[in-house]
Amino acid sequence: MNSDDVLGNRALTRFDVCVIGSGAGGGTAAYVLCKGGKKVLVLECGHNPWPGLDDDELPLPHHNNDELKYAVRSWIDPLAMLEPRTFRPTASVDAAINPDVNLLPRAVGGAFQHADCKTPRFNILDFQLRSTLEALIGRTPGLAIPGFGSDAASANFADWPLSYDELEPYYRHAEALYGVQGTDDDPFASPRSTPRPMPPGVPMYLGLLLSEGARQVSLQGSTLTPHTYPAAINSRFYDGRPPCVDCGWCSGFGCPNNAKGSPAVTALRRALRSGRCQLRYNAKVVQLLNDGGHVSAVSYVDGEGRRKTATADAFVLAASPIESARLCLLSPTPAGGVLGDSSGQVGRNLMFHLQANVNGFMPQRIHGQRGRAVSHGVSDFRGVEPGGAAPRLFDANGSKAVYLGGITEFGGSQGLPITDDGFVMALQLPSGVGARFGTKLKNAMRDGALSQHLISLIMQAEDAPQLTNRVDLDPTVRDIFGLPVPRVTYSPHAYELRTRIFYLPYLHQIVTHAGAQGVFTAPCDTLQLPPLVVSAPNSRHEMGTLRMGRDPATSVTDPQGRFHDVDNLYACDGSVFPTSSGYNPTLTIVAVALRIAHGIAGTRSLEEGPPEKG
Amino acid sequence: MRNLKLPKVPRDWLAPDAGPGQGTGAETCQPAPQNSERGLSAALPRHLLRAAHLTRRQFLFVSGAVAAVASATRPRVARAFSFWRQERFFTDAEFSTLEALVDRILPPDRDPGAKELGVAVYIERLLMTFDCGGVGLYRRGPYSGRTPYPDYRLGTPSSRFPENGFLRSIRPSRLQELYWRAELYGSQAAGIPAELDAAQGGPLIGLRDLYPQGLASVDSVAIATAGQPFAQLSVADQDRVLAQLDSPGVLPIDPRRGNNTFLDIVIQHVLEGSFSAPEYGGNRNTQGWQMLGIEGDNQPLGYSIFSFELGTYRERPEHPMSTPNPDELAPDGSVVPIPLTPDGLAIQQGITQTTRFLELDNPGACNKT
Repeated sequence: MNSDDVLGNRALTRFDVCVIGSGAGGGTAAYVLCKGGKKVLVLECGHNPWPGLDDDELPLPHHNNDELKYAVRSWIDPLAMLEPRTFRPTASVDAAINPDVNLLPRAVGGAFQHADCKTPRFNILDFQLRSTLEALIGRTPGLAIPGFGSDAASANFADWPLSYDELEPYYRHAEALYGVQGTDDDPFASPRSTPRPMPPGVPMYLGLLLSEGARQVSLQGSTLTPHTYPAAINSRFYDGRPPCVDCGWCSGFGCPNNAKGSPAVTALRRALRSGRCQLRYNAKVVQLLNDGGHVSAVSYVDGEGRRKTATADAFVLAASPIESARLCLLSPTPAGGVLGDSSGQVGRNLMFHLQANVNGFMPQRIHGQRGRAVSHGVSDFRGVEPGGAAPRLFDANGSKAVYLGGITEFGGSQGLPITDDGFVMALQLPSGVGARFGTKLKNAMRDGALSQHLISLIMQAEDAPQLTNRVDLDPTVRDIFGLPVPRVTYSPHAYELRTRIFYLPYLHQIVTHAGAQGVFTAPCDTLQLPPLVVSAPNSRHEMGTLRMGRDPATSVTDPQGRFHDVDNLYACDGSVFPTSSGYNPTLTIVAVALRIAHGIAGTRSLEEGPPEKG
Repeated sequence: MRNLKLPKVPRDWLAPDAGPGQGTGAETCQPAPQNSERGLSAALPRHLLRAAHLTRRQFLFVSGAVAAVASATRPRVARAFSFWRQERFFTDAEFSTLEALVDRILPPDRDPGAKELGVAVYIERLLMTFDCGGVGLYRRGPYSGRTPYPDYRLGTPSSRFPENGFLRSIRPSRLQELYWRAELYGSQAAGIPAELDAAQGGPLIGLRDLYPQGLASVDSVAIATAGQPFAQLSVADQDRVLAQLDSPGVLPIDPRRGNNTFLDIVIQHVLEGSFSAPEYGGNRNTQGWQMLGIEGDNQPLGYSIFSFELGTYRERPEHPMSTPNPDELAPDGSVVPIPLTPDGLAIQQGITQTTRFLELDNPGACNKT
């Protein structure tokens, strides 16, 4: 049966565009391209959780409320034993295999299905961050920002080659296409031309507790403004899908009733229903065959382990920033160079969000297993003025300072007994702290000591782009396909570390005011403090590696997403982001993919209002 | 013709996977040959070896390994009664040791222990996945039928229950099958390239080898410490042996398994078998979830039900989403927390005392780039 890993129009044999990856970038691109009349081949390396996704009726998926299947047996995650990645904090040390270098799920519909689908927009400021901050430094005596001004060489900040105003119609379309819930209760959110399609759903108890805590905290004279968290999760019947029932199996799990607007059930399904799309899954692309300036075909390994090729007139990389860049690195040009790399920037400027965690224990049970993982957050720590067009100037010991952090999620344990309690208490905590077995373990399990009581803030802080933070090919380790594995080199910049130190006391105050006891944080500097476990970044927010820009000397892709060096190759995922902002990236990935795909299709018309049925 | 008869297996192992596309193919359990209970009883499918890296020479090596392991099998043992235990991997003696061991890891008290929850059966089914065609690794869903559909008109639970889709499972993809064969039979027997093994610290020993070896070690330590195999000891002596097994250096650590010992692996499987969906073989009658006061899987009902008649949501009063649990709510609306046990409190305090607020205690460390 594996030889028949196909969805959509099986009769198609000739394709205008081949899209590599079926997630928020690739699935969205396929939808726009098919709608614009193109014949599209989508290649997805993962399996298919939605048998019958191309049927007349939207099928229920093979997703269920199953901790073992997802959190333990990694049903939609890559298998690190077969496809490892290596990690090193800097180029001066040897890289080692690390099972947790921002592994994104692999399945039809991509990684978003396994998120809790949070969809804030980026700020106006983000698209012109470099020029805005440089101008601010120029007119503000004593203002120093790491990575800017006299310190600019330590990072690689750049303006986006497009503005928020140019992207706003695509944001609007993205919210309608994916079905976003939310309301205008965040003063720092970007201005919008239309309301979100659905109002917020039911609040979570822990979200209300932390919101109450936040309202008692003042940030240099302004009271914090907690808000509902926008998410691509139905709060009403919308687009032929039911409202979310708040089952709680959200972050880390696929949605059993399709209430999550994940790419498979929104954009990708529309592409598959157009008659102009064929999707092959379990199809691992291993090389782009090229003459240096033009890609003629891709080589892939199918679900039976057979090597195949696929041809098209144009190719779109949407395999996630690490894997999209790796594909360029795996594709030598006839001259012996790396495809698309005349700038030397392929794989560089790799950004994650530097997350800051502050946690505490609530005396009562807060049942994080009921809800959408996160229903509220606060954006004051993004560090912008209301409306998000300008950075906020803070007082720092008498001088001015800018601290661009990020949106902060109000969460807690999701109440998972095996992974949130059992594994942690019995296997991960140091001896003397945990409960290895026996009555002690059983009592702590019944208390839900962690799973029912842990309350948690996560700040998704902006990460500076750096040339030295990059993905390249590991010189020695090869994966099960015989290919060099991605080697990730990453260290945080003073830009984000300094910002984190500034906001941590306020995060601490929120948790304390919410009523938590024993407030603590996971150590931030695990990359550099040898006595602690050396861990790789695992924010699951990947950006950069194929930076978009106007100048071929300093960017890989042009403002339309096309490679400067390759006339028929595009990037259409988070890899084109020049900067990372401080908000969950997926809605912006979708908006940018809509814009790029319209450019490839030669269509300019945008849908207004909710998408059509079917 | 007796060999062609299907063995007695739980109904769910036989449930066909009827979905189109991926996962088609009946989940018929193909029993192992009579005299090959252990080792690679299910021959390695050729398609697993069809990766670009695998040369013919390597293939022959793997085939040889298959034959070698298959010949070192044990005779089938007589069946003793054990509820839900249908196909056998362990000998009776091993199974008794395993049941006794897991029952001290999660002991019975007012709630069932791991033995009664079916943890040993859970483990045996995992080890025998490929004796049954690789089914059962991933349950399918989307619903188990433990909660009803919501009534979207009224915003209340309906009286209509879905069928139990957890009884069906999803056939693993090629890479998933390769991964699980390495996990169970060892990386060399599964055909993982030697270079990939070497990069990860050497060959992975399969669980089907680790378990018999580990259980033998448990009995050796039990005999050395208390004079009897583990299962025949008093509970107090078993706990003494368990503490001994947990002492550093008594059981070897496995670098390919996160430096865990056999005991660590069993503890992990006790947690999985006690608190995963009952269709995996443990958590019998959801008693594991009940002792924690949680519902486990709860789709399609969930915790909030939109009513299009009301235009808003209703919550379930006994399982509220936006308010405190009813058992911690006083009549005046204030929250009266139920105290944790000293064991639960000790965990929380241990975490806060060891991690503290590191970044503020030591901000200089965080500014180092």
